[in-house]
Amino acid sequence: MKFSELWRLSTTAYKEVSFQSIFSLRAGSALPQGGRRDVKQLISSAKYNTLVSKLITTLFIAIFAFVVFLPVLMGDTNLSMPLEIALPASVTAFLTVVLFLIVFMGLQVSTSFVSSKIVDVLNPLPLSKNDISKIVFLCFIRIFDIPLIAAGIVFLAVYFIIGGTILGGLLSLVSIAITEIFALTLTVFSARFFYSRVARASGRSFWQTFLRLAFMFVWILPTFAAYFVVNFAREIVQFFAYLTQGLSALSYFLVLIYPFSYGFLVSYTSFFHTTDYVTLVLSTASSVAYAVAAFYCVRWVTRTIREIGAGGIARGVREVVKDTIIRPQIPWLGIIRKDLRVASRAPSFASLFLLPVVQTAVLAVTFSSMSEIGLNAALGILIGISMITLLLPPTLLSIEGLASAYTRHLPLKKRTLVTAKALLATATYIFSLIVLSIVSLVLGKNFTLILVFGAIHGFSVSAAIMLELTILLRKLWKEGFAVGNIYSRISTYILILIPGYVMAAIPMICAIVALFVAPTFVLQVFLAAAVTEFAVMTTIVAYKE
Amino acid sequence: MMEAAAVSVEGLVVSYGSFVAVENLSFTVKNGEIYGLLGPNGAGKTTTIKVLVGVLEPRSGKVEIYNTPLSDEVAAKSQIGYVPEEVVLLDSLTPREFLEFVTSIRRLSKDTLNSKLERYISAFELKQYFDTPIAALSMGNKQKVAIVAALLHDPKLLILDEPLIGLDARSSKILKELITFHAKKGGAVIFSTHIMEVAEKLCTKVGIINKGKIVGEGTVEDLRKLVRSAEGSLEDIFLKVTEQEAGMQDIIKALEEE
Repeated sequence: MKFSELWRLSTTAYKEVSFQSIFSLRAGSALPQGGRRDVKQLISSAKYNTLVSKLITTLFIAIFAFVVFLPVLMGDTNLSMPLEIALPASVTAFLTVVLFLIVFMGLQVSTSFVSSKIVDVLNPLPLSKNDISKIVFLCFIRIFDIPLIAAGIVFLAVYFIIGGTILGGLLSLVSIAITEIFALTLTVFSARFFYSRVARASGRSFWQTFLRLAFMFVWILPTFAAYFVVNFAREIVQFFAYLTQGLSALSYFLVLIYPFSYGFLVSYTSFFHTTDYVTLVLSTASSVAYAVAAFYCVRWVTRTIREIGAGGIARGVREVVKDTIIRPQIPWLGIIRKDLRVASRAPSFASLFLLPVVQTAVLAVTFSSMSEIGLNAALGILIGISMITLLLPPTLLSIEGLASAYTRHLPLKKRTLVTAKALLATATYIFSLIVLSIVSLVLGKNFTLILVFGAIHGFSVSAAIMLELTILLRKLWKEGFAVGNIYSRISTYILILIPGYVMAAIPMICAIVALFVAPTFVLQVFLAAAVTEFAVMTTIVAYKE
Repeated sequence: MMEAAAVSVEGLVVSYGSFVAVENLSFTVKNGEIYGLLGPNGAGKTTTIKVLVGVLEPRSGKVEIYNTPLSDEVAAKSQIGYVPEEVVLLDSLTPREFLEFVTSIRRLSKDTLNSKLERYISAFELKQYFDTPIAALSMGNKQKVAIVAALLHDPKLLILDEPLIGLDARSSKILKELITFHAKKGGAVIFSTHIMEVAEKLCTKVGIINKGKIVGEGTVEDLRKLVRSAEGSLEDIFLKVTEQEAGMQDIIKALEEE
């Protein structure tokens, strides 16, 4: 079949995947009550959402490129190394970031790709298996099209600003293409592993629970890595440069490893500086080897993606089931248990676990550079934790959108739902505080202020969570809490966060005012404000039907 | 004192945007009745059922479940066992986990629950799939999970939307027996189906919906009188009442000539 025809068919497949990403999560296949117009709105929401997601990834790539190449671009004097040494490190760091970002984005969209079962639509059509594989592959590529192209453009632009050569530019393009192929391969491999070994597995076996937990950590690695690279770009560049300048044996070993090989080669073709021809030969040979590997990766991805697109990786298995005993909990605990189970198996909800870990990592790193933790610093850190925690309620409510056509007939009280979600989100906040305390203990810092103010602020954060949930419930109780409802309306999403942030900030503002007016009563004022908020919100929630 | 109707629907109107799916619908279902809701595709059966179970909001009308208005959501929903037409459950959970969630929301006690569950699981042969994610189950097995979830809390009212689709003969037979037994025990059943033979055998009362309106209601005998036919099957009656009979033979002939 001609490429143009394959491309045309992949457009239809791609539209379906992006529509499924919203529709299947919106109402669990229940028809929107607004009728045809509502479905049209959903379709345009799906297009808009996928575009926004691509643009955000592109923006991240651009920011990372800027941060990673900043020392080279600015001719950083603190770098204390020549450009030809800094460039391989920067190129290596950038390729690493692109790899992680695309993998991260890929893992997020894999749910809709698997659930769309796009191959089931294509299979009955008079198309060869090979053509179906190509169509599904093109469809998969289109999920990443803008970030993939943008990564190439950004890399080339930065490279030529630095003053690169044509040959180096061509090599940069090749290196970014190979990075993108590796990223897609890693995504497909992870998704395949996840859906065949982790998501398929029973919830009872210890091994499977462990696997799910382990996979969640794998899930968060790309985000953490990206954050790490941005914050420590200069240190990484210096570290890479140090490695490459160090022992020749180590440097020979490094040039064999992707993406260092390309870092060296791009640098050489830019400055033609090397006197060490062994490094040049090794980096050229390993770059060619990686290019060959990338070719086989494309073949593997094309073949495997068809399997994933068929949704057939999660086959029904007859298992030896020892008993059929079930253990119902009280309703709010039942909801929490269900949410944790769903989140541990659905990549798009893995952010439930991702957020607290990332925020804790961020804080732990920030914390380590502070000499002393005063009241202002403690309040600043607490604002940071609470702002990230307050992003959770909409995500937690969107889980209710799964299968809502069924679950909405259950006799669920609004206050039960708010209690469950508020407890889960508050637990995240407390978890972060605990991690922070442990880190400060390890670093030998005085953490009393953070712990005391953090514990008290927990009341305020909990109240803010309840406020966000109450607003969302009021707005969306009748139509359902799906991702499509929440995230496709950015205005709604922002309007939910603002009151939450304001509520969490009130005790802080009161404490700062008290610091000037009556410094001895700072803690009491902070406590009074936080507890009052909590009491008010608890009362409101308690009277909800 | 008069016994409360299991379901009382008065002047129900449901719309999707400007499209009116159900128009001024009224019917009553009493305890001991198996009420068959019949109608061509797109007639408004599933829409009506979704309103009864609280999944859809009506534009207007009065709906009561055992004298409890639907606005009293929790009380009304507590009395219903529901099997949807298209079974979309929480796919990432296993049947065990899904039932744990549903029974938690329904506040069921594990002491009384598990022996009942064991019987249903064995009846519908679900044990081997009990720890398999729902996503990996066949449509029929998903349907069985939904049926078990609908029965576990011993609801007074069963609302089943095309429950036999996807079921094997054995499970289908068991479900039909369960429905009959439920009605004999004094419970009520609303049952939607396209299989006229099943409706004729199982239902004590039938309501035929066409274009969002009830066009015929009563026992099969009552409907025969309505269409002035002494011998016709429910299928014949249905086609007459829904005005689908006219010209059908010509259409079949035309298709056969192709």
